[in-house]
Amino acid sequence: MADGTIKIDGRTVPFEKGDTVIKAAYKAGVDIPHYCWHPGLSAPANCRMCLVDVEPPPGRPKMQLDVLRWDAGKNDYITVKKTKLIPACQQACSDGMSVLSDTSEEVAVARKEVQELLLLNHPVDCPICDQAGECDLQDYWLEHDRTKKRMMDEPVHKPKAIVFGETIVYDAERCIMCTRCIRVSEELAKDPVLDMRQRGNRNEVFVAPGRELDHNYSLMTEHVCPVGALTSSHFRFKARVWFLRSGRTVCQGCATGCNAHLDFDPRDNTPYRYRPRDNEAVNGYWMCDKGMLSYPEAHEGRLENALVGGEDAALKEALEQAAEKLSALRSLRKTASINGEEGAEPSRIAIVLSAQHSCEDNFALAYVAKEFFGAKDLFVARRADGEADGILMVADRNPNTAGVSLVAETLGFATPRPFATLIEGVAQGRYDHVVSLGGEVDVDANKAKDKLSRLKAFVSFATHEGTLPQVAHVALPATSWAEAAGTYINKQGLRQEAEQVLAPRGDAHPAWQLVVALARQLGFALSWKKRADILALLFPAPSDDAGAHAVSQNAPAQLEVQP
Amino acid sequence: MTVSQTSWTKPAPRSPVPTKVIARPNRTPQVQAYVPEWLKGTAVTMRHFFENTKERMLGQKRDPVLENFEGGITTIEYPEERRPYPDRFRGLHRLTMRDDGSPRCVACLCCSTACPAQCIHIEPAEYAEGDERRGYERYPSVFVIDELRCVFCGFCVEACPCDAIRMDTGMHPAAYDSRDQFIYDSPILLSMVGRDGSRKTENARHEPGDSTHPGVTRKHEAH
Repeated sequence: MADGTIKIDGRTVPFEKGDTVIKAAYKAGVDIPHYCWHPGLSAPANCRMCLVDVEPPPGRPKMQLDVLRWDAGKNDYITVKKTKLIPACQQACSDGMSVLSDTSEEVAVARKEVQELLLLNHPVDCPICDQAGECDLQDYWLEHDRTKKRMMDEPVHKPKAIVFGETIVYDAERCIMCTRCIRVSEELAKDPVLDMRQRGNRNEVFVAPGRELDHNYSLMTEHVCPVGALTSSHFRFKARVWFLRSGRTVCQGCATGCNAHLDFDPRDNTPYRYRPRDNEAVNGYWMCDKGMLSYPEAHEGRLENALVGGEDAALKEALEQAAEKLSALRSLRKTASINGEEGAEPSRIAIVLSAQHSCEDNFALAYVAKEFFGAKDLFVARRADGEADGILMVADRNPNTAGVSLVAETLGFATPRPFATLIEGVAQGRYDHVVSLGGEVDVDANKAKDKLSRLKAFVSFATHEGTLPQVAHVALPATSWAEAAGTYINKQGLRQEAEQVLAPRGDAHPAWQLVVALARQLGFALSWKKRADILALLFPAPSDDAGAHAVSQNAPAQLEVQP
Repeated sequence: MTVSQTSWTKPAPRSPVPTKVIARPNRTPQVQAYVPEWLKGTAVTMRHFFENTKERMLGQKRDPVLENFEGGITTIEYPEERRPYPDRFRGLHRLTMRDDGSPRCVACLCCSTACPAQCIHIEPAEYAEGDERRGYERYPSVFVIDELRCVFCGFCVEACPCDAIRMDTGMHPAAYDSRDQFIYDSPILLSMVGRDGSRKTENARHEPGDSTHPGVTRKHEAH
């Protein structure tokens, strides 16, 4: 709750205790130009771009300085009064404070001069620079300066294209010494590997001797860089930002479920990078390198066509084949045989959910399994655990582990068992029909293949090529998280929605649609048409649009899913 | 039986137009005799014929474009003779070079962004490790202009921040025998020269590779 209000250019802005002027303005959506300040970092106040005019309390004189100014009429310097401006990132708010930002003439002059100073030794190599188009120097020059360079001397030259580590390339000439990258390393990654050396216009950022910039948040240094000094070696020279469009998605790297923007080129439907999407409740302003570099999974190694017995097939034909394979499930619940055909035993059917698929996909498969197949045994395919870094990345490398549990619970199943148990069960001959979601499993691939190939029927819905689609009798191509909207539940139990960003590749369809198509092919009546039909069953409480979905950048508050 | 008004086999009857009857010219015996008039006409033709032949033989033919059109041969014998294009005629593109022969283009994609016909395809690349220009410059590993798509608006030239692309060759795309030959890649574009035959460009950037480059070493001992 707000602890008071301040006025910025006459506009009332609420603040909380401890907020600085710029933070209160940022929260209220008022733009005070800045380079070195970042909402998630400390404020060193070294760029001087956020200078504002703080009006004195009533009855107190304005703080002013005497400065010399050249008077052409007198042909001499004269003394004039100049208001002392204060950096908005250092000035704490107090109730009733009045701040002049855009309306003050003196602030405008100060911004213009700061901007000119920062550009003095800048190489202005925008045609080559990857930041062009999203560069604060460009934006603020246009907004606050708009004059040509007056310095006639050769600018100071500094090292360029210095490789800081595997992910980051540094250009000292473009750097404005805001120290954001240094503070990210120190405050976020807790690994103070970057620092500044030299002084004045020879200032530059460097890596600690004997070290590389190799912590798990190195790409965040590039992300916070307001200019083109730090560039990502993965994005460097690949695309121009003005060609890219963004979609709001959720990182699939681990169970944290960091909110992200996926930037893609709509002309060729290719993703180019992730950018963290601010969400105080989940990831703050950050993402780890592992997650940041997982964007190619949206289009690399994908299962684009249906496979029947390992061979490419048309989707329609594959669905027919899958129904043929599972035909025993049609007459499942009848104890007597129909037309002489033996029905399958419900206890011999194994359903594999996936912790890498959305709640919709999992729910569709589990629902069909329960209502139509009468299956009892649920398993879960998940990526093997990795290391946790204690900051954002957790050991569980699956974005929807909690979602799978919720789906099983909602439909009255026991907690899904690990995939290894299924392999054992198949080896003992306990199952002969398997329907699975997801391609990646946390067991030895060769062993799994060997065991699974003995099944009577194995149908797999998969986004990527992997163990399960390879060995399945019929593999149906599902969309990746970026190609269809989906709901994911992270480790905190927050329900988050990822938008559709890319157009589906090849024959890929959302897995829940494929499940519905297969169920209809088998002759079961299933009336779902939209994702909302599934969500209404899975989350029956009327969802509160403002809070339930993490799609809004400035609405970080989310509803916790009540189990 | 009535003829249909809409019948297209027969023109619709014209509306009566007031006509003026012109009397036939007075045919004198001289005109009626035909031969003298024929000789007069032939004389005019032959006079021009011998005048033009003389001009051609003696090399006195006046330039039909730059000199007057009064009298003499007015035919422009293309392609030996051509109408001069205006100074700012936008012809085929060319890519300009630095003094050391490297392309001035840095693959910023401003031209292909500005192009309304979307006829420019560029793939940027970085100079290899060890190259003096690595870090300062990038270059187009692929630069292709589809001249069949180009509408010769000149936006690419306006957009270029490096004066790397120009349309001052004074040439128009020639009619070749295959459409593929209108796809100009960077070796062709770099090989073309301006109308004055030079490859000089104006560029205030003075990059490495230009003789105007200040030659400051940007190496830093500790990095």
